[in-house]
Amino acid sequence: MTKKVAIVAVAQMGHDEIFNLNIREITYQVVKSLLAQAGISREEIGTIITSSSDYWQGISCSNSYYYDAVGGYLKNSSKTEEDGAFAFLYGYLRVMSGHFDTAVVHAVTKMSEVPESSTLTNMYADPFFQRPIGIDDLSAAALQANLYMARYGITEEQAAKVVVKNLGNARNNPYAFKKEKVTVEDVLKSERLAYPIKALDCAPESDATCAILLASEEKAKQLTEMPVWIKGVGWSVDDYFLGDRNFLNGGLKRAAQKAYAMAGISKPLGEINVAEICEPYSYQELLWYEQLGFCREGEGGKFIDKGMTSLDGKLPVNPSGGVLAANPYVARGLIRIAEAALQVMGEAENRQVPDVKTALAHSTHGLAGQHHSVVILGK
Amino acid sequence: MSRAVAIVGFGQTKQGRRDDVSYPELVYGAVKAAFEDAQIAPEDIDAVVSGSMPAPMEGVNAPHLYLSDALAAFGKPSMRVATCGSTGMSIAQMAYYHVASGLFDVVLAVGHEKMMENDPQGTMSTVAEPFFQRPFLAGAAGIFSMQSNMYAHRYNISEERVRQAAAVISVNHHENALDNPFAHIRMKITVEDVLNSKVVSYPVRLMDICPASDGAAAVIFVAGEKAKRFPQKPAWVKGLYYAGDEAFFGDSDKVVWESAIIAARESYRMAGIQNPRKEIDVAEVYNPFTFQELIFYECFGFCGPGEACRLVEEGVVLRGGELPCDPSGGVLCSNPIGATGLIRVGEAALQVTGRADKRQVPGAKTALAHAMGGMDQLNGIMIISSIS
Amino acid sequence: MDQTEVKFLEQVIYLPYRWAMGPVFTRFFEEFKKKKIMGTRCPKCNRVLVPARMFCPRCFVDTKEWVQVSDKGVIRTWALITFKYSGQPIQPPYITGLIDLDGAHVGFLHCIGGTDLTDLENVKKTIKIGGRVQARWREKPQGNILDIEYFEPIQK
Repeated sequence: MTKKVAIVAVAQMGHDEIFNLNIREITYQVVKSLLAQAGISREEIGTIITSSSDYWQGISCSNSYYYDAVGGYLKNSSKTEEDGAFAFLYGYLRVMSGHFDTAVVHAVTKMSEVPESSTLTNMYADPFFQRPIGIDDLSAAALQANLYMARYGITEEQAAKVVVKNLGNARNNPYAFKKEKVTVEDVLKSERLAYPIKALDCAPESDATCAILLASEEKAKQLTEMPVWIKGVGWSVDDYFLGDRNFLNGGLKRAAQKAYAMAGISKPLGEINVAEICEPYSYQELLWYEQLGFCREGEGGKFIDKGMTSLDGKLPVNPSGGVLAANPYVARGLIRIAEAALQVMGEAENRQVPDVKTALAHSTHGLAGQHHSVVILGK
Repeated sequence: MSRAVAIVGFGQTKQGRRDDVSYPELVYGAVKAAFEDAQIAPEDIDAVVSGSMPAPMEGVNAPHLYLSDALAAFGKPSMRVATCGSTGMSIAQMAYYHVASGLFDVVLAVGHEKMMENDPQGTMSTVAEPFFQRPFLAGAAGIFSMQSNMYAHRYNISEERVRQAAAVISVNHHENALDNPFAHIRMKITVEDVLNSKVVSYPVRLMDICPASDGAAAVIFVAGEKAKRFPQKPAWVKGLYYAGDEAFFGDSDKVVWESAIIAARESYRMAGIQNPRKEIDVAEVYNPFTFQELIFYECFGFCGPGEACRLVEEGVVLRGGELPCDPSGGVLCSNPIGATGLIRVGEAALQVTGRADKRQVPGAKTALAHAMGGMDQLNGIMIISSIS
Repeated sequence: MDQTEVKFLEQVIYLPYRWAMGPVFTRFFEEFKKKKIMGTRCPKCNRVLVPARMFCPRCFVDTKEWVQVSDKGVIRTWALITFKYSGQPIQPPYITGLIDLDGAHVGFLHCIGGTDLTDLENVKKTIKIGGRVQARWREKPQGNILDIEYFEPIQK
């Protein structure tokens, strides 16, 4: 077993670069770029873990389609479904075991090629009880948002501030899909989709891919002068039936607690310098602040009111623009990790937050965030 | 040196047409059975891993979320893997790495399938990419038939001889399944029955082929140092590996099948096995099609290239032979695809700990478990032994 | 990349399904057809789970005790759906909501209606978190979840 694992390189490709390419070509290019950056050949790679979704690809056993494109020819490569962060976590476990000293972890999603997100997330629901009601990602988020507002007095304006912040940040991110200056007014005036959620409160659907190279301690030091150490990880799932769930308190808190315990973090607000979190709906970012322990329960709205999560705030959240700026459903979780790593490396270019020692990356998937993962990275 | 990992529990459902339960209830049954076997409760589990065929097979996206209750996953880390036929082995390997990483001590691995709720071949045809291969590959039967023809031609083996060997395998495994209360197909057949059964896609006939089955299985993996807390004798994972070919079916040789050869070689290396024929006492080989099993014998080093028919003719791989294969009846007699690879692992664990009841191979200490997936693309192997 | 136009392949995939309900859901819908909403009680945590289940997801034990719950309850949360997507089972506008039925410990996902859904202000006035609702059953129940058309606010 190895004691420590590091990220030694990351590579991404955004929507504009890959919209016209097929998944094999995209996968090949991002992995090629990653290996070139790290100065390592395909032969030297120990293992490869990739994440994709059959529904979000229209090809079943999705990884078999690009198995060789990800560098897996005659290699020990496996797959995790539905969340790019899983690829990272599984790759991490494999390197920790001591069996492999390097792992390429990868995720790809092309929302442009498949039915709408609502159609595919309606398919998350069982055929007997929840699917016929038309529940999907958006309507489930609306249920959660409405409860959140009623319980704590969170306002539509506070949620809108998340959109303004993130889309504004996205202008610094060459990989973002949506980058525009919007105002709170714009958000409030945007088309109502599922009250209280409006069009600009929602993430777009876009294409992207990401690949990250992990290495054991010894190998990492050979490959880079700036290894980004994995300090803590945690992931957790909630009940299946929406009626069984506590929308405002669940898996994210548990996942964060595990990651913080591993990383030795007791005061996230003071000890984390930047966070990349998955916020497919504006309200969810506020709720995730609370569940991550950045602020107290019910205070997510006040937290953003005080500007705490702006680029110049105490704990910048989503300097990349987050999921509101780019939403390749499965890949987005891995991209959060890549962005957090870039922050620690000091290589986040125009979106760099100064003096980052510790970064947090979060991923979620499933209706109203049924599953969450948290990763803590640091120098 | 990495952390030792052992298997201390195994549960499986009756396999076949399971219209009597909904999908979550099917999974619940397997998990409950594994908990009973290991004498544990959900709070003892540190993490859950699960998998099945592509989600379109059952028509619910992200099955690990739909089934999270049945997987006893509430509040726990839960992860899903899906690698077609090799899924069950991928699940086992994922659970192994959860423990071997040092982060988790007790991990529940669950494989599940409810393919009778759909047209399985319809779903399987969506495995092929739509640009080049989907119109042609005709699901599983088409691929394996092509492979069989290649094999016979490569080694200049007469059609009669290969068909005969395949039929003997079929008879042997169906006979074994009669001793397996969980297996789907339990019927006594003769070589004539097999040779005269309907041609599905030449040269493969109906009785050379696995059924489509519903079923679920669960295995408990634990850290070696904790194994003695559990009532059942531990079955140690001594070696494991996995390798895959390219996506295009025509890119690689599927007779001298590199991914299968490498999966075996690296597993043996890790387990310290130098002469598989002698050192392996029993093998649960993934065999949706009898012909393919012949190829696996050669890839796993049980015999030299082109010699697999002889292994059958001399009874080496049959019941009572030197290296009996698939005493459970194998995939050929029971194929809930997402679970099948994991069932191979569970059966191997039962064999080496003397818990395989009527299908026990006497004195078995070291077993090989294997699963194959994709369009003849992916192969994974695990070596399991009662020797720590 | 050269200047040639890149193409896209379009295909619709049809796959037929026939999902087994299992004995518990089958019984649930038989009772539902009689306008009864059934749950099962967990012997360990004592929660009554609706729809009726074979097992409790948190305690992971069999739940064999069947309990009828009321078709009246309290709105836990709701959302007014006004957007469309392919294959959407219900045509917008409709309200989706979680209802805490009297006697159940978990929320029941269904629709809320009985008021003008085209006017958001009206909806916000009439449909409130914490408001009491009751099921409006179909005239001729068929034994599926849409046998309840929607839950409607109880007039005082």
